[in-house]
Amino acid sequence: MADYTKMWSELGLDLEGHNALLSILGSAYGDIFLSQKNRPEGMKYFDFVMSEVHGLRIQELMEAKAQRRIVVGSYCVFVPEELILAVDGVSVGLCAGAEFNFEGAEEVLPRNTCALIKSAFGFKLGKVCPYLEASDVVVGENTCDGKKKSYEILAPMVKDLYVMDLPQMKTDMGRTFLKEEYRRFMAKLERVSGKKITPESLKMGIEIVNAKRAAVKRLAAIRAADPAPISGLDALLVNQVFFYDDPVRFTHSVNQLCDELEERVKNGIGVSAPETTRVLVSGCPMAVPNWKLPMLIESSNAVIVGEESCVGERGVRWLTESKDGTVEDLLDAITARYFSIDCAVFTPNPSRVEYVKEMAKKLNAQGVIHYSLQFCQPYIVESGPVEKELEHASIPTLRLETDYSQEDAGQLKTRIEAFIERLEKK
Amino acid sequence: MRIAGIDIGSRTVKLAVLEDGQLILSRNTMTSYNPLATAQELMGDAVFDVITATGYGRHLIKGHLDCPVISEITAFARGARFFSSDCRSILDIGGQDTKAISLDQEGNLRKFEMNDKCAAGTGRFLEVMATALGFTIEEFSKAGLSAGKAVKINSTCTVFAESEVVSLTAQGAARDEVALGIHKAIVSRSIGLLKKVAVPGEIFFAGGVAYNDCVRVLLEKEMGQPVFVPSDPQIVGAVGAALSSL
Amino acid sequence: MQAAMAAVPPLIENAQIADPVRRFLEYVLNKREQGNPVVGVYCGYAPVELIRAMGAVPVSLCSASQWTIPAAEAILPANLCPMIKSSFGFIRTNACFFYAASDAVIGETTCDGKKKMFELIAHLKPTFIMDLPQLPDDTEVLDRWRKSVLKLQGFLEKTLQTSLSADRLEAEIRETNRKNRLMDRFFAYLACRPIPVSWREIYDVITLEHVANGDEFQDLIEKISSSIDQRIALGQCFGTFSSPRILVSGCPVGGDACKVLQIIEEAGGVVVAMEACSGMKNYFVRITEESSDPLRAVAESTLSIPCSCMTPNRRRLDLLDKMIARFSPDAVIDVVLHACHAYNVESHKIRKHVQKKHGLPCLKIETDYSKGDIEQIRTRVEALFENLELKK
Repeated sequence: MADYTKMWSELGLDLEGHNALLSILGSAYGDIFLSQKNRPEGMKYFDFVMSEVHGLRIQELMEAKAQRRIVVGSYCVFVPEELILAVDGVSVGLCAGAEFNFEGAEEVLPRNTCALIKSAFGFKLGKVCPYLEASDVVVGENTCDGKKKSYEILAPMVKDLYVMDLPQMKTDMGRTFLKEEYRRFMAKLERVSGKKITPESLKMGIEIVNAKRAAVKRLAAIRAADPAPISGLDALLVNQVFFYDDPVRFTHSVNQLCDELEERVKNGIGVSAPETTRVLVSGCPMAVPNWKLPMLIESSNAVIVGEESCVGERGVRWLTESKDGTVEDLLDAITARYFSIDCAVFTPNPSRVEYVKEMAKKLNAQGVIHYSLQFCQPYIVESGPVEKELEHASIPTLRLETDYSQEDAGQLKTRIEAFIERLEKK
Repeated sequence: MRIAGIDIGSRTVKLAVLEDGQLILSRNTMTSYNPLATAQELMGDAVFDVITATGYGRHLIKGHLDCPVISEITAFARGARFFSSDCRSILDIGGQDTKAISLDQEGNLRKFEMNDKCAAGTGRFLEVMATALGFTIEEFSKAGLSAGKAVKINSTCTVFAESEVVSLTAQGAARDEVALGIHKAIVSRSIGLLKKVAVPGEIFFAGGVAYNDCVRVLLEKEMGQPVFVPSDPQIVGAVGAALSSL
Repeated sequence: MQAAMAAVPPLIENAQIADPVRRFLEYVLNKREQGNPVVGVYCGYAPVELIRAMGAVPVSLCSASQWTIPAAEAILPANLCPMIKSSFGFIRTNACFFYAASDAVIGETTCDGKKKMFELIAHLKPTFIMDLPQLPDDTEVLDRWRKSVLKLQGFLEKTLQTSLSADRLEAEIRETNRKNRLMDRFFAYLACRPIPVSWREIYDVITLEHVANGDEFQDLIEKISSSIDQRIALGQCFGTFSSPRILVSGCPVGGDACKVLQIIEEAGGVVVAMEACSGMKNYFVRITEESSDPLRAVAESTLSIPCSCMTPNRRRLDLLDKMIARFSPDAVIDVVLHACHAYNVESHKIRKHVQKKHGLPCLKIETDYSKGDIEQIRTRVEALFENLELKK
């Protein structure tokens, strides 16, 4: 990696902490990803992206900013990238997947806050997330109590925090409201970027994002094959890089990977033996570098064939209808797309469990591991009825609740192994 | 063929050897700071053809013995059927964790629940509480059984409950009644797990805590289901591991 | 001090009236016998004026007992707010008479836990969930919330087979305002140092409001006021001039959570104000009268409730400013029910505000309905009081 020290210090990063973070990240990546057997060639691109995730990519962001393009950081799949692209902005997901500086985070947040939120604060207070520091606008959205209230504390720490409200019920009123919130967000983007959203620019934004989602959907569909042509860890990584990389280049790389995987499927080549136990992971998002659970699962004689999660299927499943029309028409299409997301923020949220069943069937998963981040009430409360419903449909289900720490790895491993042993008997 | 199972738990290591469907050897010892050495010592001169490891230390030993491993949940499911051929619900309270397991008619694992990552309400909890009250483990159980009423203990967290017990005794609460309170607390916590998975009928109670009569009696009463404790409740996991060697 | 308290004659003589649960139960039973439907509510965002204007009786549903929590934990995660677990446990064990008596139930999306819990009970009774806005300062928010209230009206009209007239609603608005003004007369006594009423009596008076109409409440408040005047004349009061005066803020404190209030009292403090929605918060609201759109007036008043589910919740800081100025507390105790993320995260802000702007210490107590932490809370409250003593 080139020397980015100058750029990092200009961004105001704490160099010592940042170096420590990168070195932990680098060695974890080596242990978890590079040690896997039979990896597809196409993953080399993603290895490269990860090795430059705080380097070259940030340099690109700085170059974009120099050309007066805005950088918009966000924490959630309800923030439409289409709108950001329509003002020629760059959309980036913000760091929230590592247990970094939780002591600092706990000075302003309760200890029993979900790890994702604490991580975001740990990164901010420790000054180690270049994405956050490079962002012209940070978008917070009211998806859960913890995030909603934490944004109030984050607001004075960042350059420009914009809070987006969300409906919590899928009613007509909810839909209208979501559209109004997106309209308000559009105005905000226009104000900050000084650029007007036109039907053409919005349509282009929609098409870029659609292509990106379609590529990842293609990848998801290939994973139905046995033997699995790609590990769950690698597929998760692609879904994670989704939030950081340049969308057009990313799309191209994913499609290239898919070409290779289709070839593998044709030749019966996989990352694990045929008939390896297949599981679907469902629940909370896993942000980089939260690879704990997939690693435990895939080191227990199983392969993950899908992620029903925001970093995964829930983030890419729906495409936006791309049509010729006014900005208003396109805004309707965008609203319709995002209003379909079956996040546990909605009450009730029955379509989610239906889709988990459908995914399990499509991907030939033998069981579902429901993953909740500790203290994430929407998913944890939902997990009970989801488990009941899945078991009722003869899909064995294991509910796990965990955080970013390693202290429960042994316990989790025991549960996962027992669950895999249960599936093997079938 | 002689099949063996070794269960390396957090508090004790257990070894079982079976031949022709009979348990011919059963040993256990305390886990030390070096579980591998303890396991090797325990195996000592035991003769067997194949061995399977289970328990917290299973992956540790796997590297040294080159043997298959299974999780202790599956091990208990299989082992329980050895002692009670039609059991469907299993409660195992070990040194640092509690498991509630249910099986289908054929004995396949159906559902299971485990306690959270701390040792709340486990065997270790009982040990610490007995010590706090100045009892041996045997006296502790007897004291609970003999108490006329219980002092309510609110916490099953080992750390909090210990200070709760200290403050209760400082306030002059009767030792026996506190002892019963502690047993009730552990039982109510186990029932919390059991109710999520259990099916009607007998409950197979395993793990070191199954030796504790007070827990067994309370469990039977609170669940309203008969509780069966095998002759050697600690060996169940090792037996299950041995059976899976076949 | 204990002796002095025992000598104080009760505020409400009639024992029948003095037991709040029995009083409430009888009230609901009477109303039902008279043919009035019952509507169960969980939160101040459900507009009671609307319910009353339809001839129905709003009742708060049971939610504050440790006793029903084990039954809830068989389904809900243990790591959830005790109020939500208790509410669900009451329903699951058929132990909440008020729920059983309800013809309809109103829930709202105030927090993640409640929102998702309602999904588990919605099939049992006609249940309406109000989608609550979370950005109270947004320009369009009132229009949207009005629409939610209008939808609620439609639901109630259909479920209860009744209809709403604007006149009735206007009358109920006046009734609420009148009762809130009367309540304010009572609250004025809480500013006295030493204080002539105990925290239990504050709760008593608050629960009386639920079962009285304007005239009845006026009568009660007059009687209560004269009892208190008499106490003041006789020098009968709770604590002394120097007893630490505490403003209790945060999550609802009722039922088994009252242990916190009890501990404050036992440690020699006096509760001079209770900010939470179980306490005084909702009585500071005034609804616009004689507007052209009473529904909007009702919507506006509920939306102004400074609950932590709103972001940012500046109104709670404003309310605390007013309450601190009026009741002159020596310290603020912020009670957070375990796993209530909204109040828990907001607590940081409250403490900073109370300390910086008012120079008052602020103690956060995170607790649930169990008795396990009583001694720990006591230690912390006593330490707070000792510190106040040192500063004098």
